[in-house]
Amino acid sequence: MKTELSFKNALEKSMVVVTSFVLQPEFFALLGIDLFLLLSLLSCLLDERFPKAIPYIYQLAAIYGFGHLLISRNFLDMFGEYTRFWYSFLYLVIALANVVAVNVYFAVLKRQNTIAKIWSVAITFPSILVAVYFVMQYSSMQNSMPSIMLQISLLISACVIGLSLIILARPEIIRKLLHKRKEVIR
Amino acid sequence: MNLRNNRFAKKSVKLLILLLSSLLIASASAAVYYSMIMQPSVTVTGATIVFASGTDWPSGSALGDNSTWVSLALKAYPNATLIYDQPLNISNTDSASHTFRLRHVSITPASGDATVANFTFFNFVVEDTAGVAQASFNYTTSGTTTWATPTTTSSMTLPPYTQWIIYVETKAAAGANAVTADLQMSVDVTQ
Repeated sequence: MKTELSFKNALEKSMVVVTSFVLQPEFFALLGIDLFLLLSLLSCLLDERFPKAIPYIYQLAAIYGFGHLLISRNFLDMFGEYTRFWYSFLYLVIALANVVAVNVYFAVLKRQNTIAKIWSVAITFPSILVAVYFVMQYSSMQNSMPSIMLQISLLISACVIGLSLIILARPEIIRKLLHKRKEVIR
Repeated sequence: MNLRNNRFAKKSVKLLILLLSSLLIASASAAVYYSMIMQPSVTVTGATIVFASGTDWPSGSALGDNSTWVSLALKAYPNATLIYDQPLNISNTDSASHTFRLRHVSITPASGDATVANFTFFNFVVEDTAGVAQASFNYTTSGTTTWATPTTTSSMTLPPYTQWIIYVETKAAAGANAVTADLQMSVDVTQ
């Protein structure tokens, strides 16, 4: 007589559902959309200095980015992570290029140095800094770079921006400081 | 003055429209991105509780890939109790404790079949490392054609890196013919 027993482990291949909170490549597209929207609103506020169509063009660029996100979500399995990263990153680069282009437009074409300075300190530099930070964070998630140095450099950069903004708004502070120093030396 | 007011009003309306449109695009994009990161990913990992052959491993038995299933070829003698001291072990390969239980799945021949009367009992006992019985899982016929199948055992906690034993007793009815019974049991593990 043969009695056959069959034990089956209920979790023969245990499936663990992990909700992923890691940075997706589409985050760069989201960042690009926000930059385009910011450009649209700022160009509307400064409408005397820009052609009238510019705010709407930036809105259209943001809508294009939104469509791009939708397509990405629906065809997530079709595109590999590499492709998803590159087309999202390209969109972000275009948005950043527009931010820089507006800066150049103020400085070179319009010769409005004050606005160009404010724009570079308040918009261009923080935008690039944030973009670089997230791109580096993303690469650190791919185990290619430690992120602690980046966080420190971000903190230092933020302090520099804050100081620069104060000096830009009230340049006489530096003059006063230098004057005091000279008096102490005497 | 009127012209200036008009221009200001126009600019305000334009800005308001762009602001609303921007809010809509930004929130819709964020919602799409959120829906993307909330798509769960499924990871296949190895089982932490596995089977291992014991010192009394019956010949003809099979241990499956990844040790997640086993087919034991047990014998039963007419009117005599056959004991397998350690045919099979249940092993926790993890650094954490896990609970498991034994659950009856199926048995053939089914109750009502005349051949069922050939069997007397199949008893499975889960013993810890000290040999203390933790659970009993018994199939009995009492000489009738009806199986008394066991109820699911209560959950047992298997400590980390520990092996427990499954002890088996079988007995066939006096004058039993060469018949085969197939039992299927499940070990449910809480990961």
